[in-house]
Amino acid sequence: MNADKLDDIKRSANVYGCVECGRCVAACPMVDMYVNFSIEMSPRGVIKKALMGDDLVRDGNIWYCTECNAGTDVCPQGVSCRDLIRGLRQIAVEEDVSTNFNYCASCHNPFVPLPAETFVRKRLKSEPENVLDVLNLCPACRRENYMMRNA
Amino acid sequence: MKEKETLSDRIMPRRHPFILFDPEKCTGCTTCEMVCSQRNVLKVAPLSASVAILRDEEKGKNFAVLCQHCRKPLCIEACPTRAIDKGEDGIVRIDKLFCVECGLCIMACPEAAPLRDHKTKGINKCDLCDGDPLCVKYCPEKALTFTRGKGFRWIKGLRWTVQLVSFLLLVMILVGTFCSFTAGGISLACPTGVLQNIASSRTIVLVGIASAFVLLVLTVLAGRLFCGWICPFGFILDLVDKVIPKRLGWPKFLENRMTKYGVLAGAVGGSYALGFQAFCTVCPIGTLCRSYGVQGFFKGAELAIVPALAGLEIGRRRAWCRYFCPVGAVLGIVATLRLVKIVIGAKKCKKFSCVQCAEVCPVGIIDGNLLREGVSPNIPMTECIMCMRCVDRCPYDAAKIRFRWQKGVPGVPKDTTL
Repeated sequence: MNADKLDDIKRSANVYGCVECGRCVAACPMVDMYVNFSIEMSPRGVIKKALMGDDLVRDGNIWYCTECNAGTDVCPQGVSCRDLIRGLRQIAVEEDVSTNFNYCASCHNPFVPLPAETFVRKRLKSEPENVLDVLNLCPACRRENYMMRNA
Repeated sequence: MKEKETLSDRIMPRRHPFILFDPEKCTGCTTCEMVCSQRNVLKVAPLSASVAILRDEEKGKNFAVLCQHCRKPLCIEACPTRAIDKGEDGIVRIDKLFCVECGLCIMACPEAAPLRDHKTKGINKCDLCDGDPLCVKYCPEKALTFTRGKGFRWIKGLRWTVQLVSFLLLVMILVGTFCSFTAGGISLACPTGVLQNIASSRTIVLVGIASAFVLLVLTVLAGRLFCGWICPFGFILDLVDKVIPKRLGWPKFLENRMTKYGVLAGAVGGSYALGFQAFCTVCPIGTLCRSYGVQGFFKGAELAIVPALAGLEIGRRRAWCRYFCPVGAVLGIVATLRLVKIVIGAKKCKKFSCVQCAEVCPVGIIDGNLLREGVSPNIPMTECIMCMRCVDRCPYDAAKIRFRWQKGVPGVPKDTTL
């Protein structure tokens, strides 16, 4: 079942069309975000691993992606690295393997991968601590919260 | 290579444009969403709008989530591709050319105002339609208003005029001045001076007490208005404040506002022991007042106290007034009986995007962090010098002067007690 699903995800993300041009890596914002950026976590590396049939679901490298659309936008073959990583994460959540999500403090929705959250915290480290508390809430809950306090 | 500029280095426009939302008027018709999406994706699709109307069915309330175009936007810091920038006109824009739609700006924004379009997967954020917002134009209930804040801050002009006039009066024109001034039947005196006088001479002079009373009555009526509006040394400090480029901070162990009561006790006790008005000889207000007039322009070493104490300004704004001034201490004790207070309503305040009140407060008694949490800060009137900078500056009308017995803060209906 897992293999079928994985194959579906790869097919719908058009992974088999990848020509390894590396444009997605050039556009990927993770280069600026993480100091330990490597080929393993880059979109091309993940796609390559997916093609080789590696066990990506249990690979920690899929949790760095911010699910932006940069790689898909520039891909000449229409490969969607975002759809691939989103599908892989979905399987990881379904199979209950170790995930790397930050869960919303209010609705327990896994809304952002932890490395991305760490990056935001690092960028906002000059802000006072109580302002950064909102980072534990998912955007929907944050808006809800804001409405409750203001309306 | 150019160093990365921090947000405080950025050129900030004097008046920030933003949209004010009035939850009382909104009916939740989502016309704003429709016209906004029309501009974003050229069709009516509320999901693609840069404004979202939230509804609370239980309470029957509607609320618009809108970008506030913060003074120090967190989204600019968080954006990994630096696609977001605040223009010279004060509008925070996402440059679509560099935006990779990662959604980290939503993560960083305290009210999650950039909205993810679930159809195109893009990010939509209000850009105020480049200064002519459609949502404001089409809102049938006029719940949204486009504003650039107050144009003319009249309290500021009034305060500087009063300060200048009182400085001229007290220092240059009236001989004898504020410390003790008699003209026929009218007599005025500094309450701290009178206290020291009583302590040193060990006799109670009724005229002295009566003349000190004028200032005390003023303090009871309007708080420490003297410190913010009349005090000539305070005027000098405000002027010095204008030319100081950078503050060095203040040592932690001196950061105690109770020190000034200690100075007051020391002044009175010293006068009792020495037999003359001990503090008055070094009082910066007194030396200023005595410096000009028949005795000559500079009285030598005595006047050196003024620049020395004004130098404290390098550490903190109004450092002398905050921590040491015994005149302020007397007025502070009297100000516990004051009739007015300054309130800042956290409901009307736009919290994260502004906290200008905490920035402009010369004595630093407004807790901006508390305000950001959404709690109305309690402003101790014994410390407040009633300069009304916060009232003047607040673009959202959240800072107000209220009578002491009035309970409501701005933005809260009158029947609910806080």
